Amino acid sequence: MENILSLKNIKKNYGEIAALKGVSLDIERGSFLGILGPNGAGKTTLMNIIIGLIAPDEGEILLENSPVIHRSNDVIQKFGYVPQEIALYEELSAIKNLEIFGGLYGLKGKALRSRISEVLELVGLYERKKDAVKTFSGGMKRRFNIACSILHSPEIILCDEPTVGIDPQSRNAIFDMLQRMHKAEGKTIIYTTHYMEEAERLCDKLEIIDNGKIIAEGTLAELINLLAKKQSIKILKESRAISVKKELSSLGTLNELEFHFELIPGTEYSKLHQLFPKLESLGISEDNIEISRATLEDVFLNLTGRRLRD
Amino acid sequence: MNTVLMLFKKDTYRFLSDKPALLLTFILPAVLILIFGEIFSGNGGQQSRIPIIFVNESSSPAAKIIEEKLDSSKALKPVKSIKTSDKNKTIFFNEKTAKDYVEKGKFSTAVILPKNFISDSSAALNIKVYYDPKDEIEYSLIMGNIQKIIYSTIPSVFPALLQNKWQKEIGPAQAKKFKTSMAKTVNYFFGVPADSIEKYMDLSYISQSHSLNADSAASNFFSELLNFQSTQVVGKEISNPGATRMVGGWAIMFLLFSIVSASISLFEEKQQGTLKRLLTMPVSRNQIIWSKYLYTTVLGVIQLAVMFIFAWAVFNVDIFSNFINLFLMIIASTLAAVSFGMLITSFTKSLSQANGIATILILIMSAIGGSWFPVFLLPEWMQTISKTTITYWSVDGFLQVLWRHSDLSGILINLVVLLGIAGAVNAVALYRFKKTDILT
Repeated sequence: MENILSLKNIKKNYGEIAALKGVSLDIERGSFLGILGPNGAGKTTLMNIIIGLIAPDEGEILLENSPVIHRSNDVIQKFGYVPQEIALYEELSAIKNLEIFGGLYGLKGKALRSRISEVLELVGLYERKKDAVKTFSGGMKRRFNIACSILHSPEIILCDEPTVGIDPQSRNAIFDMLQRMHKAEGKTIIYTTHYMEEAERLCDKLEIIDNGKIIAEGTLAELINLLAKKQSIKILKESRAISVKKELSSLGTLNELEFHFELIPGTEYSKLHQLFPKLESLGISEDNIEISRATLEDVFLNLTGRRLRD
Repeated sequence: MNTVLMLFKKDTYRFLSDKPALLLTFILPAVLILIFGEIFSGNGGQQSRIPIIFVNESSSPAAKIIEEKLDSSKALKPVKSIKTSDKNKTIFFNEKTAKDYVEKGKFSTAVILPKNFISDSSAALNIKVYYDPKDEIEYSLIMGNIQKIIYSTIPSVFPALLQNKWQKEIGPAQAKKFKTSMAKTVNYFFGVPADSIEKYMDLSYISQSHSLNADSAASNFFSELLNFQSTQVVGKEISNPGATRMVGGWAIMFLLFSIVSASISLFEEKQQGTLKRLLTMPVSRNQIIWSKYLYTTVLGVIQLAVMFIFAWAVFNVDIFSNFINLFLMIIASTLAAVSFGMLITSFTKSLSQANGIATILILIMSAIGGSWFPVFLLPEWMQTISKTTITYWSVDGFLQVLWRHSDLSGILINLVVLLGIAGAVNAVALYRFKKTDILT
């Protein structure tokens, strides 16, 4: 599939601090790309450069294989930016906000009214269209924040941590909405987050960014394959397990933690049906065993030596 | 108790880290106390003297005394001549030019001691005053001081006036007879030459005598010997002088507050993230800045118009007879206020900082620019600073339009200065916006 957007060796410094140290990305049309990284990794700087809020010190941005030099109206219209903040005129009604933002995108008359209805339906706020935004709940504001960004039907939607500080129910509603836009409308979505669950659930391709550099990229499966351990076994640290610690070590790599042992099975025990009988023979009860599959958190820990939310 | 102390500590730390709050709490009161202190402390040495036109057409020594007293007055500054606009020629005021200058608003009062200030035929001192009570306090102060000087001078000419009075009563022939008889009697009993005694009793000699205490207090009796011909040359037709005087001052102060608040809303938008959202749309930084200019200007013009309409509706202030010039003043004042708001926005870094600094500057400008009390009350150095403020030129311009019904030439200087301030300050603000890129 063709790339809708490409970043070539993007660098950005803030004084002595290098925020981006040569980031290159290829984003396919219709993909859902997750940019995962801890706070301060460079995600927002990267987003700001993509939407043209700040200029890179070095590097090139290609939109549909053409370099973006001047941000013409045509270029701007292709992007819809969902900011991290709830960037709305809260004292105004939902419809007034949409009229203003739509007007700035050049929408007017019937087309604007019809598009306003569509996005309000999409985010489930049509019934509240005449209410001031300040009367909305946190989750509703987040949904409406997205509505204002997609009003002009952009091809690329950039979401900068759009679910910060909301309840799980509202988060799910936003996920459903984004997935609908991605799957049903074929939108290209670039989504930054430091919540790995979000990235795992939504994104078909992931970029892991840390200290201004992309340190890994691929699908979730590809990233997990980077790990030596795809899964680990947690064994409760009770008297029997402690007494057979030496035997457990022979089954793979054994890490002793505060309340349990973490066993990363060796190659001959990589299949659970090979491992479980062995554990049973050592007198470890099934009730004291927990299988833990590798996650993006493990990938990040493996790549950086730090946890995502450190 | 420990908890209370910890909470106290928390509030103290928060307060100390809030620089605008510190300025508002300590610096602003100090500055305002300084201004009010300079005005009301009675520190006469530093108080500026109110200029008035003084014309002495009388050759009478008594008039000379009044002139000398005015010259040495701590409250009034008699101006007897003025340089022409090309500065090459000095014009000495006469009654006509003095009245003309008061009419034009160059001076608020002209005191004329006419040729017949004191004469053989007059039983009272003749004084002419042309005044423009555009400022009630100033007018009261000037009149109070003039009367004080004149009343305290009356005793020195009292005998002459008295002689005039009885000469009028009994007629000049009888008076001459009386003086001759008196001289002869004194000559007879005391041996003093009769012609010498007669000379002492002569009116012109008495009027030259300064033997009486010129500083003794005036009394109501003296006022009968005083013929004040006061003529109000401006504002006679104004139905509500008080409201007409004050509306401009208050209007410009509230205009500044609302305009600054609207200008610095850029910070609010920045905080809320809406500014960032706008910048991701087909909207340029310049368009955001210019839209803010347009919005604040329209808001300011409407606000001022509403305030003046309110003054007309409630206080019967005449805003329609000179409406075009009033509108020009509204536009010029608004543009200057908008530039001030933008300057504050361009030089500050946050909403609270902008709010704090703006509040301080607006209150100081209002205090020294004439919104709260007349500028003449300020010491001279403050009056000089006053002329650098938007408030001064706006208040003065509105007064010219509403009080004096000035035509365009009367407010031209105000318009030029206000638009000049707007132009210069906007240039600095735009440079700052470009240089610091406050929008990101």
